[in-house]
Amino acid sequence: MSLDMELESVLRAPALEMPPYPAKVITLANSKQMVVRQVRRFEVPVLLDAVRPTMKIEKDFYDIVGARLYAELLGWYRHRVRNEYCLVGQIDGYVVGIVNGRMVDQEIGMSYHTMAIDRGLKVGAHLFAAKMEHHIEFLGQQEVWITAESPIGFRRWMIEYDLIQQVGVQHELGGATSYKLTRDLYFDSKSRLVAGQRPVPKAQLDYALENLFIADEKAIREKICGTLGGQP
Amino acid sequence: MKQEIRITAYKCKACGQIHYPYHDRCLACKKRDFEQIKPEGDAHLLAYTQIFNLPWGFDVRFLVIGVVEFANGIKSMGQIQVDSLEKLKTGMSLKPYWGPVRVEAEEPVYGLVLRPS
Amino acid sequence: MRDVAIIGVGMIPFGRRDEDSLLDMLAYASLDALDDAGMSEKGVDAVYVANMGAGILQHQTSVASALVDRLSLQPAAADTIENGPASGASAIKNGVLAVASGYYDTVLVAGGEKMREVVGWKATDFVATMTHPEVEYPYGITLPGMAGMFTRLYMEKYGLTQEQLIAVAIKNQKMGALNPYAHVNMVITREGIYESPDAAVNNPVAADPLRFYDMCPVSDGAAAVILCPLEKAREISRKIPVLIAGFGQATDTHTLQEREDPTDLKAVTLAAEQAFRMANLKPKDVDVAELHDAFTILEVAESEHVGFFKKGEGGKAAEKGETSINGKIPINVSGGLKSRGHPVGATGVAQVVEIVFQLRHELVPKRQVKDAKVGFTLNFGGFGNNVVAFVLRRSE
Repeated sequence: MSLDMELESVLRAPALEMPPYPAKVITLANSKQMVVRQVRRFEVPVLLDAVRPTMKIEKDFYDIVGARLYAELLGWYRHRVRNEYCLVGQIDGYVVGIVNGRMVDQEIGMSYHTMAIDRGLKVGAHLFAAKMEHHIEFLGQQEVWITAESPIGFRRWMIEYDLIQQVGVQHELGGATSYKLTRDLYFDSKSRLVAGQRPVPKAQLDYALENLFIADEKAIREKICGTLGGQP
Repeated sequence: MKQEIRITAYKCKACGQIHYPYHDRCLACKKRDFEQIKPEGDAHLLAYTQIFNLPWGFDVRFLVIGVVEFANGIKSMGQIQVDSLEKLKTGMSLKPYWGPVRVEAEEPVYGLVLRPS
Repeated sequence: MRDVAIIGVGMIPFGRRDEDSLLDMLAYASLDALDDAGMSEKGVDAVYVANMGAGILQHQTSVASALVDRLSLQPAAADTIENGPASGASAIKNGVLAVASGYYDTVLVAGGEKMREVVGWKATDFVATMTHPEVEYPYGITLPGMAGMFTRLYMEKYGLTQEQLIAVAIKNQKMGALNPYAHVNMVITREGIYESPDAAVNNPVAADPLRFYDMCPVSDGAAAVILCPLEKAREISRKIPVLIAGFGQATDTHTLQEREDPTDLKAVTLAAEQAFRMANLKPKDVDVAELHDAFTILEVAESEHVGFFKKGEGGKAAEKGETSINGKIPINVSGGLKSRGHPVGATGVAQVVEIVFQLRHELVPKRQVKDAKVGFTLNFGGFGNNVVAFVLRRSE
């Protein structure tokens, strides 16, 4: 698609400088190694293949999370969302989960979405924790604003992190109740909730960077919807 | 104002067995006459746990719950007010209070609350 | 009293079954059992349905009448049996008594529960309704919480270790991964849940000292059996009859606090003793057992209380592999509640179905206990306040 860069320059707002998220590796309950790393912008079209099938899955609100995550990632790719980042979890190169968010300014982070494709290994919980880690420790922000679109998210994030409800504060995702994680709350819960080791061995990281595999649509649907294989 | 601990236990008049909660017949001798008794003294910790994944109705991250025995032999469950299990040990003495343990229909429900002495 | 045999079994994969209602699940398992017994188009004299919470979870009552209607089994007698998480074994026991007495010849027993209908913390609350409504429930105690207190006492008294409980969790998830009926088909490792620097986050405390992987999942599921007099089994079914050689049931105080020794699961011991006495067998005669491992500690404690091991030895035995499929006494070769899941009304029936598979030698080699002739099940209600045991025997 050819772009009129003169018009684009009007549409593209200046972005804040965002320190990178240093990759880490988490040993999961089955001993599989999940590399958590930042997605590079040019990888977004590949990543969208993982999100697209979820837009048709009503279970656990995957459809709404998928549709919004798709739009956010496309928005970032097309320079229509400012200061966005995306982290993925990869096992043997395959994407097993995606999280994203953005910097509102230097002080405030806006958590967008958390999507686990492989379920039953706390992938979603590990990636949400990585997202909080990024905002507080690497972007150096004071607080992260969070909301939830599914009961699973509500329970996991609001209760486990002791989040503070923000009455009258509007989260960018809409009118659902808004909560925030402060630096103090993050460091209070870090040892319980944030896993992972750094640095990732070079060969392991190189493999993850060079191989962003996406399972086929049927496999993604089965991983999310299958009645078997889920830890509670 | 100090609230009375509203636990009523039942001591079998025939064999002395203490019951809490109430039973219509004695657990030991099956007789039906009981003397009502109240907890006395400090409570000694018999068992305890810290529970996460709480049931509907509790908007806290965890509860610490234990079973204690009062000086006069009454045993009861209660909520323990500590922020870490490291402060607890089986057999230790705890101070009993009567306080809110949950909320139902926006009203507090009272029960046995325990704190380290 | 007539000898009673199981001539047909049925089960559906446990898990999260959003598409199926409770009645759907009970019907599928029952049809499976009728087909297995060679009674696809026949009726039964009576139906017993085990279910703990449809009144709460589905706002539905009279489940047995509804199942009779779904299966067009009228005018069969029908009763719903509720005994908490031991509803399944209680329903089978009532079916056995009905056949043994000579009153009914063919009885369908189906157990089912649909727990994933509600969010997790409502399911936890539903299960907690088993606790004492005045002196336990108001404090927020849960069944995992009861198990946590029990575990600490057991550790203090017998020296049970976390490593021993981990051995149970790993064994049962390994076996569950081979069981097509299991909710959880994921192998876990000691590294992943205990040794690695990330293990504490993967396997957080759930009810201290128990951790996440010490717990069974919350599941939907159903299972069913067909009972008839042993003397008529061969006329009705071509399957190898499995004899209900013995059963036992015992109760204990509602609250743990009123037990003289809270680490002593008296009802488990008594139920097992009754079942072995009736079968004229001993624990050492059992080839394969399904114990009620809603929490790993229960598998250990029950293995001692039913007589497979001395008190304090169950954890060590699990760690040494004596309860694995090739061990001295294979326990929970199905993966147990830990992997198959624990739809409370279904569990006791599912345990018996698994033992029937084992005694009929129908399983794939990795899951089949070689030459199994005698099986044992233990279904644990409340926190051990109502327990049902069965001894089953292959009838040649």
